[in-house]
Amino acid sequence: MSAQAKKYSGQPLKRIEDPRLIKGIGTYTDDLRLPGLLHVAFVRSPHAHARVTSIDTSVAKAIKGVVAVLTGADVNEKCGVVPCAAAIPDLKLPKHTVLAGDRVYFVGHPVVVVVADDAYAARDGVDAVEVEYDPLPVVVNPEEAIKPGATLTHPDLGTNVAFTHNVNGGTDIDEAFRRADRVIKQRVYHQRLTPMPIEPRAVVASYHAGEGTMSIWSSTQVPHYLRTLLPGMIGVAENKLRIVAPEVGGGFGAKLNVYAEEALCGHLAMRLGAPVKWAESRRENATSTIHGRDQIGYYEVAVKNDGTILGLKARTIADLGSYCQLLTPAVPTLTGLVLTGCYRIPAVKMEIVGVYTHKMATDAYRGAGRPEATYLIERLMDLVAKELGLDRVDLRLKHFPAPTEFPFGTACGVTYDSGNYQGALEKARQLADWKALMSERTAARKSGRLFGVGVSTYVEICAIGPSAAMPAGGWEWGCVRVEISGKVTAITGTSPHGQGQETSFAQIVADQLGVSIEDVVVMHGDTAVAHYGRDTYGSRATVIGGTALVMCTDKIIAKAKIFAAHLLKVAPDQVAFADGQFSAPGAEKTLSLAAIAGEAYVAKNLPPGLEPGLEASSFFEIPNFTFPFGTHIVAVEIDRETGQVAIQKYVAVDDCGPQINPLLVEGQVQGGIAHSIGQALFEQTVYDENGQLLTGEFMDYAMPRATDIPEYILGHTVTPSPTNPLGIKGVGEAGTIGATPAVANAVIDALESLGVTHLDMPLTPERVWRAIHQRTVATV
Amino acid sequence: MKITTSAAVAAPREHVFSALNDRGVLRRCIPGCEELTDVDEETFAVKLKLGVAGIKGKYAGTATRQDLLPPESFTFALDGKGKTGFVRGTAAVRIETQGEASRIDCEADVQIGGAIAAVGSRLIGAVARKLTRDFFRELADAIGAPPDVSDQNEIDALPDPGRDERLE
Amino acid sequence: MYPAPFEYLRPATIDEAIALLVTHGEDAKILAGGHSLIPAMKLRLAQPRYIVDIGRIRGMSHIRETAGRIVVGAMATHDAIERSALLREKCPLLPETAGHIGDVQVRNKGTIGGSLAHADPAGDWPAAVLALDADIELAGPRGRRTVKADGFFVDLLTTATAPDEVLVEIRVPITSAKVAYEKTEQKASGFAIAGVAVVVEQGGVRVGVTGVAAKAYRAKAVERALAGQSAPTAEGIARAAALAAERVEALGDIHASPEYRLHLAEVNTARALRRAYGN
Ligand SMILES: Cc1cc2nc3c(=O)[nH]c(=O)nc-3n(C[C@H](O)[C@H](O)[C@H](O)COP(=O)(O)OP(=O)(O)OC[C@H]3O[C@@H](n4cnc5c(N)ncnc54)[C@H](O)[C@@H]3O)c2cc1C
Repeated sequence: MSAQAKKYSGQPLKRIEDPRLIKGIGTYTDDLRLPGLLHVAFVRSPHAHARVTSIDTSVAKAIKGVVAVLTGADVNEKCGVVPCAAAIPDLKLPKHTVLAGDRVYFVGHPVVVVVADDAYAARDGVDAVEVEYDPLPVVVNPEEAIKPGATLTHPDLGTNVAFTHNVNGGTDIDEAFRRADRVIKQRVYHQRLTPMPIEPRAVVASYHAGEGTMSIWSSTQVPHYLRTLLPGMIGVAENKLRIVAPEVGGGFGAKLNVYAEEALCGHLAMRLGAPVKWAESRRENATSTIHGRDQIGYYEVAVKNDGTILGLKARTIADLGSYCQLLTPAVPTLTGLVLTGCYRIPAVKMEIVGVYTHKMATDAYRGAGRPEATYLIERLMDLVAKELGLDRVDLRLKHFPAPTEFPFGTACGVTYDSGNYQGALEKARQLADWKALMSERTAARKSGRLFGVGVSTYVEICAIGPSAAMPAGGWEWGCVRVEISGKVTAITGTSPHGQGQETSFAQIVADQLGVSIEDVVVMHGDTAVAHYGRDTYGSRATVIGGTALVMCTDKIIAKAKIFAAHLLKVAPDQVAFADGQFSAPGAEKTLSLAAIAGEAYVAKNLPPGLEPGLEASSFFEIPNFTFPFGTHIVAVEIDRETGQVAIQKYVAVDDCGPQINPLLVEGQVQGGIAHSIGQALFEQTVYDENGQLLTGEFMDYAMPRATDIPEYILGHTVTPSPTNPLGIKGVGEAGTIGATPAVANAVIDALESLGVTHLDMPLTPERVWRAIHQRTVATV
Repeated sequence: MKITTSAAVAAPREHVFSALNDRGVLRRCIPGCEELTDVDEETFAVKLKLGVAGIKGKYAGTATRQDLLPPESFTFALDGKGKTGFVRGTAAVRIETQGEASRIDCEADVQIGGAIAAVGSRLIGAVARKLTRDFFRELADAIGAPPDVSDQNEIDALPDPGRDERLE
Repeated sequence: MYPAPFEYLRPATIDEAIALLVTHGEDAKILAGGHSLIPAMKLRLAQPRYIVDIGRIRGMSHIRETAGRIVVGAMATHDAIERSALLREKCPLLPETAGHIGDVQVRNKGTIGGSLAHADPAGDWPAAVLALDADIELAGPRGRRTVKADGFFVDLLTTATAPDEVLVEIRVPITSAKVAYEKTEQKASGFAIAGVAVVVEQGGVRVGVTGVAAKAYRAKAVERALAGQSAPTAEGIARAAALAAERVEALGDIHASPEYRLHLAEVNTARALRRAYGN
């Protein structure tokens, strides 16, 4: 890295991408209008499990404007199966065809596809298709599903257990439990959630028969994954396939996938010789786009009476739904990676059982695995403190590794890169005015109010990830080109969809090259432009993608120095670069990067042996994950009569290393906490006992609103990561990881006087009221 | 979903029983019934235009009588579907004499699916009650009993995030 | 999200609207603010063949004082009611209730007439018009008639309005400031799980409850318990409020069990009464 003064990095610059979005002139997939565009709609199963006995498409086909009505029999042989990329040994996979075959396995399972001149005719066509179903027994409860004799989700698999994954780490677990003074046990249910990005999915596909090339626009987080995986599904070679992720209105993991609809649209464009578009409705998004979480866990902690934690045992039952989407089975295994949280816990044993049920697949949802782990360990820390009558903050402090102990290896088998957990906790306590808050808590309780304070100290995994830990490469690619005009084009293989890297990457590149940020354009999300990439998920883009760009600028500066030396007639090692100017001792003039770029492309005076042009590309392979951390402190008050929870104070201190753009960091943290408040207090995806989804619209799926979100008091500490030259760690999921347990712990703390030690989320008013009511009745 | 309904009709139970097993009476009393045709002795087919206010859908289905025990009880096995969803399940009917009148207890155990389940869950229970109330009102009228139908209804078994049994 | 085909009709007068309703019978639906009807059409739960848009008929969105009564046109939006200076002064329950409906976008489009005609069991307006003992004016082919709020809500989504009638206006008394609306929201939709409106008058009180049962109702047992008292004690209010859910058959769904709804009816009644009485 060059020794540049940092003019932009560290500045809270407003997002370059915002004006077009605020003005409504961004281009989302559904905004695309291609000549002759046809519209796609799906007939989806109303049953969670049924045999399809007959399909009559004749009436639908006769509707004016309907172009094609196709069933599984028409397309499944011609389209490859929906892929699962998780590398889990002995994973049992059902065959996941793009349309249902003779059975349907979840409500929302696509059965028939209708293509028409316009979206209205397509929808009319859907209504006119007659499908006869013979309903079959349904299994929706994963704990029931693993009992002997349970109804089978996929009878041909012979079992509902997709896989069993074991984590055995650190010292001997049995020994730890033998030495324990006490064993504390808790069952915890992590509810199912619907990601609900503001923009549902959408796909446009266009096939050029003459060239044999296909372009697919998709509202996706992973255009490069699609370019790798769709060829096997639709039979178009990778180098004839272009994927574009235009403006993408949020993903949260729901768009980190390869979906049947994406392949089908490609297939239809080829088959019908016309471009096609599918735009998902909100209800389809609720039924047929992946869900998140849904884990039931049984936990046991072995402790000494002084609070020393000796070991942790866990058995987790992960509800996968009926199919494995791209990473479905991998997500629960991520829980095993940070189960010990910020703490020195010498022995860990975890068994994860992945179970099929007649529901939509679960997969990566913001935080993916880490929110589950953090919630568990943070609930357990409170339970241990409570049981042993210890101060919960002291208990946490007691188990933190010292800042000097990093890199810190854990019993879960990962090595935390750097950390100062004590620092973040201390700062959070300062910002929360901890002493005053505790006196307020005491005073409130004396007067009979249900007032609680929750603490969560978390560590998470970002920069996902080193290639060794990934199914297919965890590096990132970037390319920087200084144009003939001196303007700079930076191309990233990541695929921002709300994170703001058009801004933060411009900050990095402008600082590296000493140019004005106005002269830098960041391009992404189009595989014809960003040839390689591993896209955006797992809080990886800035750390890995940003570093790839730094590597490019280093190469450019090195080459530009050779040009400068040639032009200034000095030896290359005499050239210095600072503030965008190349200079040498004794040389008459200095040269700007733009001047050198001009020479590099005009190419009339090239240094001997040097290629023209000023462009470089790089792949960055990160040596380890990064491990951001922090402390969240929440105060809540509960309305005793109604069970309503009101958040009184919210303090978050997050350490994601040096911040490229503090405004973007704050935005990520704020959004993440909002997500968490939603999960802790309101959100839950509900299926009834027949597998009917009852939360199919915003009418019934309770998203947090602006008015539910308190004023945040945000702070940060800065502990650089040794894994990358920028020292950064990533922050895209931190809020969803640190906040959920803090809110839940606060609510449970408020109910402490009633003898409540645990409640499962969401902590809805009725659930809280029942807890209060039963305890009050029982103790009166 | 389980829907328990009770109604009192001021007529002897033999009367009520035969009315409930008379397809002419049923055609008249089933809310929204547009067509009722015999399939065989135990089964009839219906076409309904059902719903409340503007939220109406067309449904077609069958009802099969089982476990006939005159004049005390019988069960209908129900199976119907329309564009907005489907209903399947059973409705067990018991009739008891209460003085001059009869008390009808109906215990329906139905599965409701499709759009009506996905977006109408908050209203389904209430709609079911309204339809049963309408049915009994018509029934009383058909029998010639006073139209004053008192009812006591209960709906349960909707999964309730506030009390998920999986969590207890 | 694409409705079934329909024909769009736009009458210029109330009489024209009625004529269209008569001609097309049950295939026609009035369109007011569209914020209940259009979502149902987009989900294809409602598939009217004719849409009669009454949005361009003049003189249906007035808010004024006439002959000692407050008159609100059916097409007055929730937002117009919330902002009306006249109502804030002379019938403050209406602006208070309006402020609880949906969000700003919903309030900008939705109308009081549409909301009453739709009679969603969780709508907010029914509680207010019951507590105000409103007169609801309907116009139809047989002329005009007035229905008392108490008899207007017949059942779930069903009112005294005939399919060929147009709800034209609501008339309510001028009240003191001794009114209150207490609502517990369903977290997802924002509709009422239990909403209680209270109007205290000389020698009595009226209580309207929405969200709890298949239709909004007057909690007459509460009213009787407080009859004749101008300043009930805290215990008196608590005892009366405990009757708010008496003999009520409550709704239950994934958001609130019948038991919780009944409990909230009592809690919100007590809160609304305390506020209205200034207790
Ligand atoms: C996101 C959202 C949130 C909402 N939240 C709430 C809430 O918190 N509380 C609440 O109370 N409501 C809420 N609503 C509903 C909203 O208030 C509606 O506007 C209202 O219920 C219906 O009024 P409308 O003018 O939109 O009627 P429309 O939707 O146009 O019509 C509704 C029905 O009434 C009939 N109709 C309309 N006007 C007349 C008339 N003058 N005469 C006869 N029949 C007529 C129509 O034919 C139709 O059947 C919400 C709606 C949305 C979309």
